Amino acid sequence: MAQAQRGGSPGARRGRSLLARMEERTALFLLIPSFVILILIAFYPFGSVIWSSFTNARFASGEPTRYVGLDNYRRLLSVTIRELPVQRDASGAVVTKDGVKQYESWVRVLPRQPYRYRAVFEFGLLGKRFVVGAVSSAFVRAIWDTVVFTVIAVLFETILGLVIALTLSSNFPGRGGMRAAMLVPWAVITAVSARIWEWMLQPTRAGLFNTVLSYLGIGDGSINFFGQADLQLPSMIVMDVWKTTPFMALLLLAGLSVIPGELYEAAEVDGASRIRRFFTITLPLLSPTLAVALIFRTLDSLRVFDIFQIVLANQRFSMASYAQYLLIGQRELGMSSAASVVIFVLIFVFAVLYIRTLGVEKE
Amino acid sequence: MRRAIVALLVAAAVGSLAWAQVSITVAAGNVGQELALTKAAAQRYMDSHPGVTVNVLDTPDFVQDRLGVYLQVFEAKSSDVDVFQIDVIWPGDLAEHFIDLNQYVPKDVVDQHFPAIVKNNTVDGKLIGLPWFTDAGLLYYRTDLLQKYGFSGPPTTWDELQSMAKTIQDGERAAGNPDFWGFVWQGNAYEGLTCDALEWIKSSNGGTIISPDKVITINNQNAIDAVDRAAGWVGTISPPGVTSFGEEDARNMWQAGNAAFMRNWPYAYSLGNATDSAIQGKFDVSPLPAGPGGQPAATLGGWQLAVSKYSKHPDVAADVAMFLASPAEQKIRAIQGSFNPTVMSLYKDPQVLEAAPFFGSLYDVFINAVARPSTATAPNYNEVSTAFFNAVHDVLTGKENATDAMALLELDLQDITGFATGQP
Amino acid sequence: MSRRRSSLIGRILFWVLVVGILVYLMFPFYWAFISALKTQSELIRTPATLWPDSPTFVNFRSVFSNDRFLRALLNSTIVATSVTALSLVVGSFAGYALGKMRFRGKTPSLYVILAMTMFPQIAVLAGLYAVIRVLGLPPMPSMILSYMIFTLPFTVWVLTSFFRGLPVSLLQAAQVDGATMMQSFRLVLLPLTAPALVTTGLLAFIQAWNEYLFALTFTVINEKARTVPVAIALFTGQVSFQEPFGEIMAAAVVVTIPLVALVLIFQQRIVAGLTAGAVKG
Repeated sequence: MAQAQRGGSPGARRGRSLLARMEERTALFLLIPSFVILILIAFYPFGSVIWSSFTNARFASGEPTRYVGLDNYRRLLSVTIRELPVQRDASGAVVTKDGVKQYESWVRVLPRQPYRYRAVFEFGLLGKRFVVGAVSSAFVRAIWDTVVFTVIAVLFETILGLVIALTLSSNFPGRGGMRAAMLVPWAVITAVSARIWEWMLQPTRAGLFNTVLSYLGIGDGSINFFGQADLQLPSMIVMDVWKTTPFMALLLLAGLSVIPGELYEAAEVDGASRIRRFFTITLPLLSPTLAVALIFRTLDSLRVFDIFQIVLANQRFSMASYAQYLLIGQRELGMSSAASVVIFVLIFVFAVLYIRTLGVEKE
Repeated sequence: MRRAIVALLVAAAVGSLAWAQVSITVAAGNVGQELALTKAAAQRYMDSHPGVTVNVLDTPDFVQDRLGVYLQVFEAKSSDVDVFQIDVIWPGDLAEHFIDLNQYVPKDVVDQHFPAIVKNNTVDGKLIGLPWFTDAGLLYYRTDLLQKYGFSGPPTTWDELQSMAKTIQDGERAAGNPDFWGFVWQGNAYEGLTCDALEWIKSSNGGTIISPDKVITINNQNAIDAVDRAAGWVGTISPPGVTSFGEEDARNMWQAGNAAFMRNWPYAYSLGNATDSAIQGKFDVSPLPAGPGGQPAATLGGWQLAVSKYSKHPDVAADVAMFLASPAEQKIRAIQGSFNPTVMSLYKDPQVLEAAPFFGSLYDVFINAVARPSTATAPNYNEVSTAFFNAVHDVLTGKENATDAMALLELDLQDITGFATGQP
Repeated sequence: MSRRRSSLIGRILFWVLVVGILVYLMFPFYWAFISALKTQSELIRTPATLWPDSPTFVNFRSVFSNDRFLRALLNSTIVATSVTALSLVVGSFAGYALGKMRFRGKTPSLYVILAMTMFPQIAVLAGLYAVIRVLGLPPMPSMILSYMIFTLPFTVWVLTSFFRGLPVSLLQAAQVDGATMMQSFRLVLLPLTAPALVTTGLLAFIQAWNEYLFALTFTVINEKARTVPVAIALFTGQVSFQEPFGEIMAAAVVVTIPLVALVLIFQQRIVAGLTAGAVKG
């Protein structure tokens, strides 16, 4: 390499291209180990997931497998919106209950062929009532739930992670202990942390939350955190934020540590306030690290599995726990693979969005 | 002379080679002494069969994890495991991976077991699993509280249970225990709810969801009433959180002394009588109540031994399974580990009854136990059960009324199984 | 005067923040700890107690007397350490190429590597199991290799981002001094990114340490290779259905402590790295 640099005298242009070629060769050489591992462990499993997503394969079954094209995707993703007719009695008068207009059940309006549609949710608009139906209503709901879960959880993780990282980046006695403590949630085995939270959030006063809340006069000691629909996602988010904030904080801390101290000193001399310094120096210089941290957190949240599976059983699914249910519960390898491909595509979209908006690619 | 020695040595070498080749692996449970008991039994088999090595593997107690592991082994058509411990609902779904045990097990040996279990394990005439130990739903009740509130015995109907639970709950709360509830059971959306709801429905003459002769019977008035009745318990005699309860959640509340009645499996009996239990000696078990004009019903649980089709020595594996499930071995497991035998005669065995006195009262429960429709709906049982417990859960949580839920469920079950509909 | 007061208020607020963070991070762990100390009957008592009435060490004792659990601790250490070392070595090579070199196909490479980790684990499990069987690998190497699926993309991306952030002038200076690219990598880049390497390694280590699904599948027929999450999943009560919650909590505490100790050991290195990072500008 050094030789190439010196031998580049005959013409600067030729020398640079030689150098560039050397650089390119070194780069490819350095990437070989990664790609060998990738081909070894990812190539076949990925290929088989994608292939089986186009078949009617059953898991652990000798039944012959048939190519079914996009059938699995159609069954997973078919969504329709229909208007619900107003309920009328025999005389044709509108049925009301407590002064509220009653509507027909969604069963009457959602199509049944070639697959039966089920309601995902209903909503009112311009005085009419509509129902959103899907063939795999549980999966469509899982997509929605997982995205909501991801957006909110990652937002909180980022804010909390940033606060913790900034706090820990200042010098104070006991900082070492704090750093160790910070890792504890991340270090607890995921399945076990789900159990800890499950125990704390029990629907009786044997759980910490119901005990404390009932002392505070909130609830009667039997709040059903995992059974009540509007508390399920918040509970999941609280569990996930606790567990993964350290991941964010630790990465951001490392990012903070490579920001040169002189920049702050100069800004302080210029009289810039703390807040101003944060927005003009810290945040821009931290953004590459933030982007990577966000990408991996988002990716992990979109694939969230353990806490849904352990805590919510079959009450409500995340995308990945639904894929698992399809595979192990129903042994529908084809459908499960298609669900996984959907997850893959969704994650890819998120990743591209982050990479584009946060400018990770830029030098 | 020399030649004779050589011949002997060769014979010995060949012999030991042939013997050493037979190694059988049993995938079994790992609960408490379960693994130790199975390993001891394997040792006894090896002592009497010096040519066979029996390895015992422990698998996760979390049923879904265990099934996942098994399926990976089947998908790979691996011969690594020869004998599998399978759940009572799996014979139908997994039949294609197991051999027909009728080839190896004499009929009189099969007939020693509870007929309901044997029938459940028989798929298209093939005996898929040999019954190993069993389970059935029971009603636990607090003898001290029944006496305190002037009841002479456990309830025999659901309505009776409801009013007794209400009386005791009101009384105990007035007496200063705000955490007290009348009746706890398994209400989370999982297989446990299928078991509970099947008991409510069957005991009310509402059928078994899908009948053994493949007719969808769930959409009938008795079933609707039974589910409606249970929905009425939530928040009145049962805590609102019951809709996210599993077996352990119910037992925890019960064992803390915070419930008058509980529906659970026999396992809660010995734990409730442990020395640090708040209800030690204060409770008993009885058959579950029945609906109007119905007979009590207990859902059948438990585990079987099945032999893998991919085994290299299915004959030896079947022999090992037969040995492990034999009356002598089941007796040891019953005495040392409180595992409920599947061999009928053991419920009258004095030694067994001495070790586990409540076994005697279980005999009738087991002989009348109701199997889930897993064999009739194979290989779609899991889908059927999921549709069922989700429908029931929707009613319990008030998302849907029972009439609509059962009508929708009927459609779902038609889609899944393609069976005709009818009345039970 | 007022300045001093405001700085005092600032200090108090700062410490309130520190204590707040500490409580938030630690209270579930505290709950696990006291749950492990409670007797079975106190565990289920209502209302819950914030400190055990009569602490018992029976759960901890049964965890430590479980030789399979101790074996699992050793296995987990071997697996997680190997995974971390392998992904750091391979990842820093790739990170160097992707962060500091110019070549065609850079962006696609980054995406392809990231894509490795975009499928849910359950989806690739069956395929991976088939690959492992074809390769005929024993359980430990299987786990090490398959964990690369999630640790490698992570290390590559983090290290790429950190390498990219280093000033080009440093590398050029080294090259002017006659260093080859590999020398400047080893002598300039690696020492400068020590904090990033340590952080990445730590995060990857814990990810590998906590993995359950692959470990369960690959060690089904090999009990001796089981890792901690599998061992904990195989904890059971005395009878079917019963769940030894106290023991699981005790195991959680016992498993987490060595990890935290590891951080404390690395502490020096991190702090040293941090100060180096601050100075180099």
